[in-house]
Amino acid sequence: MEEEHNSNEKENALCGRSLTAASRDGGGRMPAAPLAQGKVERGKVYSGDGVLGYLEMLEAQAHELGLKQEEKEQQEKKLDRLKARVQELRARRDELRAKVELQEKRLLDKEGVMADPAQPSAQTVLEWKVKSLKAMLQVFYLTGISGKLTKQGVCFCISTAYEGTYLDSYYVDLLIKPLVKIQRHSVPVFIPLEQIAKKYLQTDIRRFLSVLSDHLNAYVGRRHQADQLEEHFSDHIDGTLQRNSLCNLLVFNYTVSSNSKTFPFNVRLLYGDLCCSLPTEAIISCTPGTLPLLAEMAAAHSNAFRHMALHKAFDSLINAKESQN
Amino acid sequence: MDNSVYQVYEDEIQLLEEEIKLLSDKYEDIQQESTFFSDEEVLMSVKLFQREFLEEHKGHGPPLDLKAELESLQRDLSFLVKFTGIQITSHSKKTLEKTGNRTVQKHRLSGNCQSLPFSLEFQLLEVQNKENVSAAITDLSIAIESGQHSELSKFVSRAEENGNLLMFFRNLSSYAEWCEHRRCTFLHFKAKYPNIVTLPEGQEGDHIILRNPQLPGFELMIVWKMHIDEEGTTTPVLDLLPKVPQQALEQKKASIDNAPACFRSMLLLFGIETAIENLIQVVGLEK
Repeated sequence: MEEEHNSNEKENALCGRSLTAASRDGGGRMPAAPLAQGKVERGKVYSGDGVLGYLEMLEAQAHELGLKQEEKEQQEKKLDRLKARVQELRARRDELRAKVELQEKRLLDKEGVMADPAQPSAQTVLEWKVKSLKAMLQVFYLTGISGKLTKQGVCFCISTAYEGTYLDSYYVDLLIKPLVKIQRHSVPVFIPLEQIAKKYLQTDIRRFLSVLSDHLNAYVGRRHQADQLEEHFSDHIDGTLQRNSLCNLLVFNYTVSSNSKTFPFNVRLLYGDLCCSLPTEAIISCTPGTLPLLAEMAAAHSNAFRHMALHKAFDSLINAKESQN
Repeated sequence: MDNSVYQVYEDEIQLLEEEIKLLSDKYEDIQQESTFFSDEEVLMSVKLFQREFLEEHKGHGPPLDLKAELESLQRDLSFLVKFTGIQITSHSKKTLEKTGNRTVQKHRLSGNCQSLPFSLEFQLLEVQNKENVSAAITDLSIAIESGQHSELSKFVSRAEENGNLLMFFRNLSSYAEWCEHRRCTFLHFKAKYPNIVTLPEGQEGDHIILRNPQLPGFELMIVWKMHIDEEGTTTPVLDLLPKVPQQALEQKKASIDNAPACFRSMLLLFGIETAIENLIQVVGLEK
């Protein structure tokens, strides 16, 4: 404990003490009495507080260096991991490639049935058969009528498609005893299920499903055509396409041109046969007074709508129009 | 170190993982497709599996899921075959493309629909959407043994054009059922009136001949054709062809000329079976 009058001297003494303390403890410890730190340049010591400051700076630098070192190690580790993973995956991929090539070669040599040298386990055989049966059942789905036996009867699945695209599927869960009855179904309410059931369900289940399938496929077909029209030709249609839930009544407007003048057409499509996806009537109306001019065109358009799928008919009419102009 | 170095490795890892998935799926598909176990082998394996399981677990433990699943699927399939009349005798599929959420498989299928043999190939494209899987058929190619069913060719080419596999099966089923109905009807009448009814082309033929043994030279031929239009709708078309000896022709020309028309009205009024029955009874009575 020195008694100094000169503050400078006091500071020096304190500096000295803290220096010693620092050296005793080793690096990395902040000075007990942080002094005003002057700006310190590397390698230059200006004054007592400069020294402490310099120490701090070194500490910070070491700390940062430590962090950087750690980061670098982490990055290298990560890189090594990634490289190892790549090697592992490459090896697995090559192994699989070789396996598949061998398989394919065997197939070519033995014309199909592969004779497995090892006796396959019972489990392998059963697993193969299960997969094979599931694939077969998927094919039945594609044919339109599939199903599953239930405790009390059968649950049939009616699939629908329009041309090559499969659309919704519907379920009818039947009870077999004492009478054939529909327990549950997912048929939409606007399909006359009850009427069809009343007519055929008791006497001929196959006929019942066949008629129901016709109704459902036709409905889905009409809906699909309307959706396609909206999706692809909305810019050629004035306003929106109006339809009812059964999609057997469609109304929309479009414009035709004749002699460089444009005229609005209103189309009303009526699908009288619920088992058909083409309209029975295609009524085209134009503004009063213009009919004589456009009668031929209206008749041609009506004809197109009655004989071709809606989106295809419309497409051909649009293209004909454009080629005229 | 910037991220681009990692990116190169990470990209390769992703590519490799995808490739591995594709290859292992392909390996399993080929394995599945190229293996074949007969029904006897399957049955033996079921017994073996059950025995192995019992030995291991002494009867306790979880149920034999695999065996139960197999039997349930077999029951479902045999029911469907019996119910729809569609029997698939061979089916093979091959995965052509499997990327991201798209799968393209090539299927080869042959079997019978009632007694009509068919053979077809198609490609099935499946795309995984958010909610469901959408499926579409492309490149549909159908081969039907025409033979007696030459009327099917237009319907078949239309189905190939549209790629509508579903409608092909629905309509083929309906056509086959009509043929089956015709066969049963012919057999029924042959059994009921063996002296009068003959089936010159057998039960698969499209006509029967009614003859009264006491009136030689006088025959009624009922022709029953199945017309199937391009859309696939089957319509039975029946007609009557009388064969009459020269002298009778001069006497009863009017009634003989009228006969086909009468038969058609009977068909409309009473249906096929009753109309044919009436005709048989008339032939039986004729003196």
